[in-house]
Amino acid sequence: MSRMKLNLGPQHPSTHGVLRLILDVDGEKILGCEQVIGYLHRGMEKMAEGMTYLQYLPTVDRIDYLSGFFNSYAYVTAVEKLLKLTIPERASIIRVLLMELNRIASHLLWLGTYLLDLGAVSPFFYTFRERELILNYFEKISGQRMMYNYFVFGGVRHDIEYVNEIMPIVKTIVEKLDDYEKLLTDNPIFISRTKNTGVLDREEALAYSITGPNLRASNSHLDFRSQSEIYKKFEFKIAKAEAGDCFARYKVRLEEIRESSKIIYQAVDILLSSGGEYNTGLNPVNLNIEAGEAFADVETPRGLTTCCIKSDGSGTPYRVKWRTGSFYAVQILPKLLTGNMISDIMAIYGSLDVMLPEVDR
Amino acid sequence: MIKFLKSIKALLEGMFTVFKHLFKKSVTLQYPEELPNLPERFRGGHTLKGCIGCGICQQVCPCNAITIKKSGGKVTSYTINMRKCMFCGNCQYYCPVGAIKLGTDFELATDSNKELLNELIETNESEADKE
Ligand code: SF4
Ligand code: SF4
Repeated sequence: MSRMKLNLGPQHPSTHGVLRLILDVDGEKILGCEQVIGYLHRGMEKMAEGMTYLQYLPTVDRIDYLSGFFNSYAYVTAVEKLLKLTIPERASIIRVLLMELNRIASHLLWLGTYLLDLGAVSPFFYTFRERELILNYFEKISGQRMMYNYFVFGGVRHDIEYVNEIMPIVKTIVEKLDDYEKLLTDNPIFISRTKNTGVLDREEALAYSITGPNLRASNSHLDFRSQSEIYKKFEFKIAKAEAGDCFARYKVRLEEIRESSKIIYQAVDILLSSGGEYNTGLNPVNLNIEAGEAFADVETPRGLTTCCIKSDGSGTPYRVKWRTGSFYAVQILPKLLTGNMISDIMAIYGSLDVMLPEVDR
Repeated sequence: MIKFLKSIKALLEGMFTVFKHLFKKSVTLQYPEELPNLPERFRGGHTLKGCIGCGICQQVCPCNAITIKKSGGKVTSYTINMRKCMFCGNCQYYCPVGAIKLGTDFELATDSNKELLNELIETNESEADKE
């Protein structure tokens, strides 16, 4: 009898956060898996009920600290809908520009840590080096590397500066991508660990509400950016792959970095050639928000994030609900892991790009 | 056979890419000797100058980290609890007179609990009180 229960995590270096998996294994083979989440629960939703709208604004960056701009965007847009506020054109372009830079930074971090999980150490340093360029830029414009507090109700906090520095940064990163591809795409070790592992087909992914790159790697076109108002002005392709395995997810993310860079080029062009207001100049200290409900969604690097706010007319939100992409990616783990070997766990789990703070909130 | 040769080629290419980096300039910073070049907007330790005691910073702080004591229309004590502060910058952004600022001081670690209660009493006014 070699059948036993094996506990993986919560303190496991490869879970990038604290996720506990109770595995049912027979030797090396996985027969079942149960996920235990909640180790990073900070009560982000409940917390909002005791805070004013403005006080809650800096905390939403922490829901997913690798893509703070996206969370801010969802929250800020929902509050703007409650206030019936239209934001200036320039503000929405600045928002798109920063979100796409953030997407590149997030995907670069994913690439580095994923390869680290698979045992390749050097690419980790390369991707972090490139990511640092973006984070330094964010620090310059907003004051901090990951917790930006930059989007405000009615626009952005400061007008964008150092726009000229963005192009060289993005150009370097796109050039370096070829370097990574040289290291990985044909590498027989990488291929044998990722190809045909963790195959997720389209119907299953849709049934589990998987969104983002994970879904697009399974032969789907669903990208909420194409339906979004603020992305209307930009031309970009939706990255897509057909196989649905770990390798396809890797391909989709690399492709997304390239597509994001195209959006950034267009946004920089618009910002350099036109001026205008970046903020409606609303003073948010004593916001008077009427009773009602508002909903906003955004396509983050990890899928669809939505924020739903119910207001009862007092100064604080009555209820804030978040939906995040990673939560659904964790739900599919038993399906993907069953039948695989223990050594495949991190290859599969890592390829889903799960962000635990976002799961537990 | 061709497949095997191809994978050897890919491996060698990968090794070469890594090898090239040996001769590049290092990008890390030797921290205590070299200090990072922080931007102007960096949000670090607070400084206070010219506070009128309106209390807006208290109202917008998400962590309730700020305590202000007033007597006779004058600010007598202004304390930021560094154990609670998350350096969001709200106090700076919404102060109507630009009194509170987040500076570039980032080495805020200390071994005493008391020092984390950052007393930022007005320098001007406390001097005036002494006179
Ligand atoms: S620091 Fe600014 S916001 Fe705070 S009490 Fe003083 S003047 Fe008012
Ligand atoms: S930086 Fe933010 S948390 Fe810290 S005292 Fe100011 S408002 Fe409060």
